[in-house]
Amino acid sequence: MSVEKPVVSLADLCSRYEGLLVPDERQGFEGYLISPDHLISFCRSLRDDVGYDYLSSVTGVDNFPAEQMEVVYHFYRTTGGPSFNLKLQVSRHNPVVPSLVPLYPGADFQEREAWDLLGIRFEGHPDLRRIMMWEGFEGFPLRKDWREPFFEDEAKPFKSRWPDGQVIRSEDQNPYKNNVRYPNDFDPEQWTPVGDDALYKGMLNLSQNIQSEFKTDQIVVNLGPQHPSTHGVFRMVVVLEGETVLSLKPVMGYLHRNHEKIGERNTFLQNMPFTDRLDYISSMSNNFGYALAVEKLMGIRPPERAEYIRVMMAELTRFLNHIFSIGFLLNDLGAFFTPALYAIEERELILDVFEAVSGSRMMCNYFRFGGVARDLPDGVLEKIKELVNDRLPRKLEEFERYLTKNDLVRIRCEGVGVLSPEEAIALSAAGPILRASGVPYDVRRADPYSIYDRFDFDVAYGLHGDIYDRYLVRVEEMRQSLRILKQVVRDIPEGPIMSGKPQYQARVPPGEAYGRVEGPKGELGFYVVSNGKPNPWRYHVRAPSFINLTSLATMAKNQKIADVVAILGSIDIVLGEVDR
Amino acid sequence: MDGAMILEWVIKSIFLILVMTGGFAYVTLYERKVLARIQVRIGPNRAGPFGVLQPVADGIKLIFKEELVPAKADKLIFTLAPVLTVIPALIITAVVPWGTEVTLFGRTIKLYLADINIAVLYLMAVTSISIYGIALAGWSSNNKYATLGGLRATAQMISYELALGFAMIVPVMMAGSMSLVDIVESQKPVWFVFVQPLAFLIYFIAALAEINRSPFDMPEAEQELTAGYHTEYSGMKFALFFMAEYIKMIAISMIGSSLFLGGYRGPFVDQLPALGPLYLFIKVAIVLFVIIWIRATLPRIRYDRLMQFGWKVLFPLALLNVFVTGVVLILVGG
Amino acid sequence: MTPLQIVFLLVAAITLFSAVMVVSIRGMMHAALFLVLTLMGVAFMFATLGSRFFAIIQILVYIGSIAILIIFAVMLTRNIMDAEVASLNRGWWFFAPLALLIFASIVLVLSSWSAFATLRDLSSTSGENILEFGKALTDPNGFVIPFEVASVLLVAAMVGAVYIAMERRGGRG
Repeated sequence: MSVEKPVVSLADLCSRYEGLLVPDERQGFEGYLISPDHLISFCRSLRDDVGYDYLSSVTGVDNFPAEQMEVVYHFYRTTGGPSFNLKLQVSRHNPVVPSLVPLYPGADFQEREAWDLLGIRFEGHPDLRRIMMWEGFEGFPLRKDWREPFFEDEAKPFKSRWPDGQVIRSEDQNPYKNNVRYPNDFDPEQWTPVGDDALYKGMLNLSQNIQSEFKTDQIVVNLGPQHPSTHGVFRMVVVLEGETVLSLKPVMGYLHRNHEKIGERNTFLQNMPFTDRLDYISSMSNNFGYALAVEKLMGIRPPERAEYIRVMMAELTRFLNHIFSIGFLLNDLGAFFTPALYAIEERELILDVFEAVSGSRMMCNYFRFGGVARDLPDGVLEKIKELVNDRLPRKLEEFERYLTKNDLVRIRCEGVGVLSPEEAIALSAAGPILRASGVPYDVRRADPYSIYDRFDFDVAYGLHGDIYDRYLVRVEEMRQSLRILKQVVRDIPEGPIMSGKPQYQARVPPGEAYGRVEGPKGELGFYVVSNGKPNPWRYHVRAPSFINLTSLATMAKNQKIADVVAILGSIDIVLGEVDR
Repeated sequence: MDGAMILEWVIKSIFLILVMTGGFAYVTLYERKVLARIQVRIGPNRAGPFGVLQPVADGIKLIFKEELVPAKADKLIFTLAPVLTVIPALIITAVVPWGTEVTLFGRTIKLYLADINIAVLYLMAVTSISIYGIALAGWSSNNKYATLGGLRATAQMISYELALGFAMIVPVMMAGSMSLVDIVESQKPVWFVFVQPLAFLIYFIAALAEINRSPFDMPEAEQELTAGYHTEYSGMKFALFFMAEYIKMIAISMIGSSLFLGGYRGPFVDQLPALGPLYLFIKVAIVLFVIIWIRATLPRIRYDRLMQFGWKVLFPLALLNVFVTGVVLILVGG
Repeated sequence: MTPLQIVFLLVAAITLFSAVMVVSIRGMMHAALFLVLTLMGVAFMFATLGSRFFAIIQILVYIGSIAILIIFAVMLTRNIMDAEVASLNRGWWFFAPLALLIFASIVLVLSSWSAFATLRDLSSTSGENILEFGKALTDPNGFVIPFEVASVLLVAAMVGAVYIAMERRGGRG
């Protein structure tokens, strides 16, 4: 990966756009505002001249009741450093923004999501369809004036639930079908999704111009939504010629529950357990990211011991996620569950630790703003020490011995699903995918948060960007996690685990914050906007599995159908996070 | 051909079918237990002591499942396909000898159903028609996964049948007879696996591919094709496919044992012929264990590589092995 | 009539019926399956004649290999024989009598050939005839030349098939 020295500095670029680029001067906000007309040219110089080559997050904020919609971009340099925030303000009636897909292909799904949920139209987007909601859905659910059939109140706690001190559920008040009515000429039995036919036709047309003496048929195959190897309800529409994939489009949203809308109804603290449900394999990391974002808004930092506990939990989560994903990658390669079950055996031990500290094995809900929920119970630290110093390194070696040099694994993985470093950056791939492509970008190192600057660890990276390198990167990351954990259990101090008084209602001053952590699956970011009320005004999740899927089509092109499954396994998605 | 003779045949045939179907039930349990132990689990242990009633429970469950037929399926062929899959699996072991002969109720009974002089050819013929059920199941389901699975199965089985055939010719050449009884008897001094390890290896690999077992379980590759050719099957029709797969496993273990591992031969079998079936049983159990072990250990080979391996490695190797065996036999035996 | 004769007639009827179905039925897959049934009937004929070897070879080669390849090809193609397409073309009235004529002449010629009536009984020497058959195929005084010519023909056909199926990349091939 070649990173040229930036031709101009950021300040120079900003001064060049003097007058067009306005600093965001609202209290608690940062970054710059730009007009839609200059977005493309500015971003081109930002990427090519200043070196902000990585578009991390694209999202929108509905500033209802003001007639204004905001689009928020977060750019990073893959060489490290803080973010550059760029904002656009457009009218709420007809929000049209130029698409950044030509410059940053990784914006593809995120712009589609913003269109789907907020109704922001991205001019020049190649495939601006709904992504989470179904074709034909009316309205844009993340807009503040959109109300669902069971609507009760703008924000929780819903007062209507306790009229006389008795709890009433809205489902009881609104029995099914009262609110849901089909149009007159609509028969659900006869209905076929409108969007799908167009999708199939478009995909077949794209792949039709093939030079061949024989006229062979191409077939469209739907892998999913019910399919054993999509790791959940996820669909890949694949155009096949024989066994070769000509093109692929992921279709998602089957598990969509509008996490962000619910998050905006919840109070700040109520969102903490809700983040567990994103990537349910690694809930501790999700807690971490959200806590960072809100703490940034509140301007507090957790005490020392809490920081150590947080890092400890995050690294244990990374270990368990990676060992799990390697086990199931092997499953996708057709090994009949043996590696997966060996992985689960280790995962169970870590889950025991989680259960001891938080009371729950998977939905941990352990972090609080300014600390963690409770201190480590007696004996847990000893157990972690035993795991970290003895059991896990031993088992990791065992895994490596059986898998790393395994010929069948190497035949299936080497040179398959290759993503070049340039593509990986352009497609906003994150985490092990990005690093396996030879971009040693790790948020823990590039933009250290919490106390990661104190620890000694190496950023694992690969050189080929294939499945095998992703596997190797995960193995190396597990080893580095253990290295960090060894330092943590050695250095962890005594002391309080919460700064200030624990409070049910966090007081969050107005402003915006983007908290990001290096989750096991990649950069996990939480963009939170507060207006001083008990509920977040905007709560956006930059979900790594979701954005990593942008690169699936590139990786799968011209591969065999069997390899597509392995490639998907190597991306390591969790549908709870993809669909949110 | 007297009446008692026909009665003996009928009894032996029924006995064989019962053994194969009962064997199927317990091979599933055997497989689940072995897999579980390899995968640090316990395996089925609820139904009966050590889970011995598990196959019964499975059977009852499958009988009561709803049988679905896809709307656009070819009904007749869709129903016929599972039957066509089971029949070859059941009849293939008719020529495998279980032992020499025992005296029962004052009558000398030969421990094999049929000793035909072209037994090995019979095996090959039955193997070749066992493709039909799978190909037709894939085609008649009117489902893309099933069709792809059926196509894969057909291509894979045709490719590996050649190597399988050539591997089976080697013992025929060594024994100078196509009768399995003669082949087993001629392994009296030494098992063919020690003389012809390569042929046994080729036989084993090709047979795994022939019965679509891991790592060659492409046609039903769950990760890509959901369940391959039997995606649309449910209830008893599915059970028939399942049964065919496991009976074929037993069959290739029996045939492999007879061709290369000395069949029913073992210590003292000449003095006590009743030991024959026991030795065969032990050998079959060991071969089955290896098959299950492979399933628990190895990832699947990708389909195009599998075809390449079959045509570019296994087939030439088998051909060469036959050639070398022939030359050596002529030089040594004259 | 002996039971064997009854069975023979039954099987012959099925064989002929399915042979007719092969050319008359719509739907290529069904036609292919009737072909399999026809071949199976022929295999049964061999078996009733006491030649287990040829019966099994018939199954192995024709049913197990050739017919399955036909089915394979049918599965790979779209179903082009719809019910709407007529199964007879315009010249059928001319070619049907012609085919009948050819068949009649073949029967005539064969029945007047003396060797046809004096075929050896295969059943009595079933153990030996494989050996004789094998020797005859490789005997210079026997059938070695037709055998080798057939092999060369098959190899040529195979090379041709490979050539046709070979992928041409970038105009080089």
